[in-house]
Amino acid sequence: MPILQIQEATKVYEGKVTKRALNQLSFEVEKGEFIAIMGPSGSGKTTLLNMVSMIDTLTSGEIIFNGMKPQKLNSEELAFFRRRQLGFIFQDFNLLPTLTVEENIILPLTLDEQPIAVMEERLHHLSELLELTSILVKRPNEISGGQAQRTAIARALIHKPMLVLADEPTGNLDSNASREVLELLGKMNQDNNTTILMVTHDPIAASYCDRVIFIKDGEFFNEIYKDDRRQTFFQRILNVLSLLGGHVGDFSSIRLP
Amino acid sequence: MTFLQFAYRNVFRNFRNYAAFFMASFFSVFVFFIYSMLMFHPEIESGFLGEVSIAGMVVAEIILVLFSWFFIFYSMRAFLEARSKEFAILLQLGMDRNQLGKLIIIETMTIGIFSCISGIIFGYAFSKFFFMIVREILNLTALPLYLSWEPFVLTLFVYLSAFIVISTISIMFTPDIKIRNLIRGPKFVDVVATYSKRSAILGIVLILCGYSLALITTKSSIFTYTLLIPIFVTFGTYYFFTDTTLFIIDSLKNRKLFYWKRARMLAIAEQVHILRVNSRMFFIVTLVSTLAFLTVGVLSAMSSYTSQYDKLNPIGLIYKGEMDNPFETAHILSIIDELEDSGISYQMTRFTVVRQTSTYTSNPVEVFRETDINHLLFSYKYPLVSLTSGEAMFIPYSEDSIETLEEKVVETVLKENNINLTIDSVYPKMFFPTAIISSNAIIISDEDFTRLVHDFEMTPVVEPGYHLFTFDIPNWTETDKIGLGIQQMVARDYILNSEYTLPFYFENAGLNYSYILATYSLLTLVGILVVAVFLLASGSFVYFKIYANLDREKKQFDMLIKVGLSDKELKRLITRNLVIQFFLPWGLAFIHSAFAFYVVQTVLNDVMNLSIVKEVVFSFTLFAIIQVVYFYLIRWRYLSHVRG
Repeated sequence: MPILQIQEATKVYEGKVTKRALNQLSFEVEKGEFIAIMGPSGSGKTTLLNMVSMIDTLTSGEIIFNGMKPQKLNSEELAFFRRRQLGFIFQDFNLLPTLTVEENIILPLTLDEQPIAVMEERLHHLSELLELTSILVKRPNEISGGQAQRTAIARALIHKPMLVLADEPTGNLDSNASREVLELLGKMNQDNNTTILMVTHDPIAASYCDRVIFIKDGEFFNEIYKDDRRQTFFQRILNVLSLLGGHVGDFSSIRLP
Repeated sequence: MTFLQFAYRNVFRNFRNYAAFFMASFFSVFVFFIYSMLMFHPEIESGFLGEVSIAGMVVAEIILVLFSWFFIFYSMRAFLEARSKEFAILLQLGMDRNQLGKLIIIETMTIGIFSCISGIIFGYAFSKFFFMIVREILNLTALPLYLSWEPFVLTLFVYLSAFIVISTISIMFTPDIKIRNLIRGPKFVDVVATYSKRSAILGIVLILCGYSLALITTKSSIFTYTLLIPIFVTFGTYYFFTDTTLFIIDSLKNRKLFYWKRARMLAIAEQVHILRVNSRMFFIVTLVSTLAFLTVGVLSAMSSYTSQYDKLNPIGLIYKGEMDNPFETAHILSIIDELEDSGISYQMTRFTVVRQTSTYTSNPVEVFRETDINHLLFSYKYPLVSLTSGEAMFIPYSEDSIETLEEKVVETVLKENNINLTIDSVYPKMFFPTAIISSNAIIISDEDFTRLVHDFEMTPVVEPGYHLFTFDIPNWTETDKIGLGIQQMVARDYILNSEYTLPFYFENAGLNYSYILATYSLLTLVGILVVAVFLLASGSFVYFKIYANLDREKKQFDMLIKVGLSDKELKRLITRNLVIQFFLPWGLAFIHSAFAFYVVQTVLNDVMNLSIVKEVVFSFTLFAIIQVVYFYLIRWRYLSHVRG
C-alpha cells in the first residue's frame, strides 16, 4: 500500500481574484521513495505541500496516508499526526531563536512529552550522523546556513516520521551547503528507508531523487524515474523543463553565467 | 527537555522581548503595593479622618486594579501578536491547542510571579520614601515603616489571580492563527479603507454638539449636561476615528495636485492604513488621556480652593448663640480656657445682633453695632468704620457683593423702632465668612443702636437677634483641637435631627481647614496615582501597537529604501506617522479636556468665586512637555530599529 495517495486533488482559492491552484492532481508515493515535485513558480507546488501537511484543505479530492484520511482528524488529532508522522523542512529553516541547536532538534519530542532518555539517545544518534555534535549548544544566530538546515533536518527526523516534507530545502544555501544537505537526505532515504517528498525548482536538487513529478498550472505534467547516473538524470530533467515552455522562469545556475 | 523547561527557557532566554510585558506588570504591582502599604498603615486607619478618606483610597485602589488588569491584558495581547510566527512554527511542528494554551499560561505565570515578587520587593523598599512624602503632605508627626501581612497578601492575591484570569482569557481570544499566512508571510496586507460618510459627519456633529453644550452650561443646567456632554463627546470621538479621519484623507486623495507629490502620496496612503487599524486604540487613548487631564484639573481646583481658604474664612473660631442661650457663658469660658491652655493668642469680639424689619424690602435685616464691628476690624488691622446717626453701611456677604453694593443707596426705616437710615456704602472687604450672617446685614452707629428697644416683629416665632462671638486667631491653623466638645454637639444635632434644634452654633475654621487639607492631600495622592497610571497606560498602548508591527514596518522600509527613498525622507515619513499616532489622540483629548474645564471653571466661578485657570494651564503645559519627551524617546528607538 502506498504511503501517500493524492487523488484528484483540486484547490480553488476564492476571493477578489479566483485562482485554481491545483487541478485534479493525482499521484502515489510508495514507502521509501525520495520524490521531487518540480514546476515553475506559481505551478502549485507549495499549495500541494500545504495540502499534504494539512495546513490547508482541498476543495475536492482526497489525500490518503497509509489508508488514513487526515481531513477527518480534529485539531488535536491533527497536532498528534504532525508531531508523530510528519517531518517538515522549511526553506528558511524556521528554527526557534530562543532555543539552542539541540533543543531545536528535540522540540517535536518535547511537544510529544517523550521521556528524556529517548530524546537523548536519538539526539546523540542524529547529531553524529549529521555532524552537529560540535554546535549542539550554539544558538541559531551563531551557526551557518548549512548547519542550520542540517539542524532542521535533524528536527524533521528525530521523531522517526512516516513522511518527510521538504519545501525548497536548498533555496537559501550556497552550492556546497546544498550539496551536503542533498547528500544527507539521500543517505537518510537509503539507509533508513525514510520517505521524502521534496518540492523544488532546482534541477540539481531534483536529480538526487528517485522520481521527479512535474507540475504545471496545478496539473500533472510529467514524471520521470532516475537511472544509474545522476548526471544523465539531471540532463533528462532539464529536457522536461524545457518542454514546459512558455513562462518557465527557473533556470539553474549551471546553465547561466 | 520537558515541556516545562521549554516554556521556562523561552521566557528567560528571550527576556528582551518579554521586557515590555514584564515592565508593565512590574510597574502595576509596584504602584498597587505601595498604595496598599499606605492604606493599611495603622496611623491612617485609626486616624481621625476615618471612613471618608479610607473609602476614597479604596475607590482609588479599585480603579487602579481594574486599570492595571486591562493594561496587562492589552500588553499581553500585543505581545502574543508579536510572537505569532513563532507560534505558527510550533503549530506546524505538531503542537496542539491545549499545549499552546499551556505554554502561554506557563510563560505568563512565570513573568507574572516574577514581576509580582520584584514589584513587591521594590515597593517595600520604596515605601519608606513614599511615607516620608505623605507625612510631609499630610502634616503628620510620623509615618513609620511597618510590617504587616495585609498589603503583601492583598497584592499577591489581586495580581496572581489577575495573571491567571488574563492568560486564560487571552488564550480564548487568541485569533485562530493561520499557519500558512505566517510561515510564508501574507502576500498583501489587507487594507480595508471603507468608511461610512454618514458616520463621518455624525462624528464631527456629535463632538461639536458636546462642545457647544459645554459652552452654554451654567450652574443650574450642569447636572443634565454633565450626563449629556460625555455621551456626545464619547460617541463623537469614536466615529471621528473610525470614519471622519478616513473621510478627510479620502478628500485629500481626490486632489491629485496635492496628493501625487513626492513622498506625500506614500505618507497619506500609509495614514489610511494606520488610522484604520488603530482607530479603536486611538479612541481608547483619547478617552484615557481625557480622564487623566480631568483628574488633574479636579486636583487643581481643590488645590486652588485650599490655598484660597483663608481668604474666604478669615475668622478662626465663631460661636453664635441665641440671646437666651443657657450654655453661652460655659461654652465661651471653655473655649477661652482651651485657647489659653494651648497658648494660642486670640482676639475675641462680642456682637449683639438685632433683627429688624426694613421697610425698603419688607424683609428682615440683621443690624450690627459700629463699635463691635470696629473691634473686629481692628484685630484684622482693617480700616475702621465711622457712621453718623441715620447712616448705615452694608456688610458684604461675598466678594462679588462688594461690587454690586458699592453704588447702591437705600433709604429705609427700621420698622419696629422707627429709625430712619440711609445705607449708602458697603464695607470694601469681607470680614465675615459667607454663611454666618445673613445676606441682608448692615452696620449702624452706636447711637442708633441704643434706640433698638423693641424686638423684631416676628418674635417669638423668629429669634429677635443673636449673640456672636468671633475669635480672630492669627495662627488659626492650630485651632483644630479647640472647642471639639461643642463641635461634636453641633455635628450630632445636624445628623440626628432634620432641623437644627440647639440654641447655639459653633464653627472652627481651623478644624474645617484641617479636614479639607487632609482630604485634599489624600485626593492628591490618589489623583496623582490615577493620573500616572492613565498616562502610562495611554503611552503604552501606543508603544505596544508600534512594537507589535515593528518587523513588518522594517521590511516595508527596507523595500522603500530599495525603491529610492532617501534617509531624510525616511525620517520625515516615520516622524509624520508617529506624530499622527501620538498627537492625534492626545490633541483631541486636550481639546475635550479644555472644554470640560471651561464648564468646571464657569460653575466654580458661580458657586465659589474661584478661578482655576492658572493651575489648569500649568498642568496642561506639564502634560504637553511629558508627552513631547515621550514622543521623542519613542521616535528615537523606532528610527534606530528601522534603520537597523
